[in-house]
Amino acid sequence: MSIAAAVLDAVRAETARRPGARATRAGLRIGELSGVETESLRFCLETMVSGTDLDPLAFDFEFCPWTRRCRACSTTFRVADYDPACASCGSADTEAAGGDQMELSYLELEEP
Amino acid sequence: MRVPLERKVLNENDRIAATLRERFQSHGTFCLNLISSPGSGKTSLLERTLESFDPARRIAVLTGDIQTDNDARRLARFGFPVRQITTGGACHLDARMVERALADWPVEQFEILFVENVGNLVCPTSYDLGEEARAVLLSVTEGEDKPLKYPATFHHADVMVLNKIDLLPYVPFQAAVACENARRIQPEIEILEVSCTTGAGLERWRSWLAGHLSAKHSPRRRGGAEENEK
Repeated sequence: MSIAAAVLDAVRAETARRPGARATRAGLRIGELSGVETESLRFCLETMVSGTDLDPLAFDFEFCPWTRRCRACSTTFRVADYDPACASCGSADTEAAGGDQMELSYLELEEP
Repeated sequence: MRVPLERKVLNENDRIAATLRERFQSHGTFCLNLISSPGSGKTSLLERTLESFDPARRIAVLTGDIQTDNDARRLARFGFPVRQITTGGACHLDARMVERALADWPVEQFEILFVENVGNLVCPTSYDLGEEARAVLLSVTEGEDKPLKYPATFHHADVMVLNKIDLLPYVPFQAAVACENARRIQPEIEILEVSCTTGAGLERWRSWLAGHLSAKHSPRRRGGAEENEK
């Protein structure tokens, strides 16, 4: 719920930078490791938008997979079955590369 | 019209966390954020930790709960400053709550600030509190697959404290499987097996803390405190 509130604060702040504009759609990028369940976030967002100045506002979710980068062969790979070893060369020497995104990636605005 | 943005949803929290982190670093305060399910032993671990410190040490604790100041009362018995943050419903601490709780506290005098988060393995993960390290507790009365069920929490932790190991003979929990699961999520995670009841393993936990403190007070230390010493 507080993440949904932070999303709506961000939408309002970004919209306010363009006087007279109204947001109709917000794009969200959510990583597999962000700790956010997109369906419950969507539910919270829709509930919190309903009947407010932001209504109607639609949401698009872009899922960002959990990835690691191999220090041996430089491949960035998606982690499957919780296996941190490189999917390309098998090396165990890998580092976190992505999956914790929680970002507002775009807004669609209507301007007067 | 589509306006591309790269705005972190929690950027306001991250901004406050960054100022807190700078404040801790400039004063050489080691801030540790403790996260676990309810009942894994965060408060017990802090009790055993505080009781082992010389009362002259400059240690402080912030403890978060949805309701009651029971934990603060448990922890205040050791004579170190303790403050309760009652979130009134929120299932995690955020940086603003920590900032408010510290407002009139002499943070610059603390060597260690423990922040005991609200018992929850999901939401606290997303909120940076300006800590230098994050500890996740798991106890042997839970499932050994918890790291796989809550990967985000374990992925962002520096150390996993496996608590209640005195109960291993009585429960089906397989410690080796739990540790392997944690390392699959976070290959660099340190794992310390302890019992807050018998005291087993707590020496390693204290050394882990001491290691962080000595790293802070090495010549690599950055920021205002160093300037003041010149």
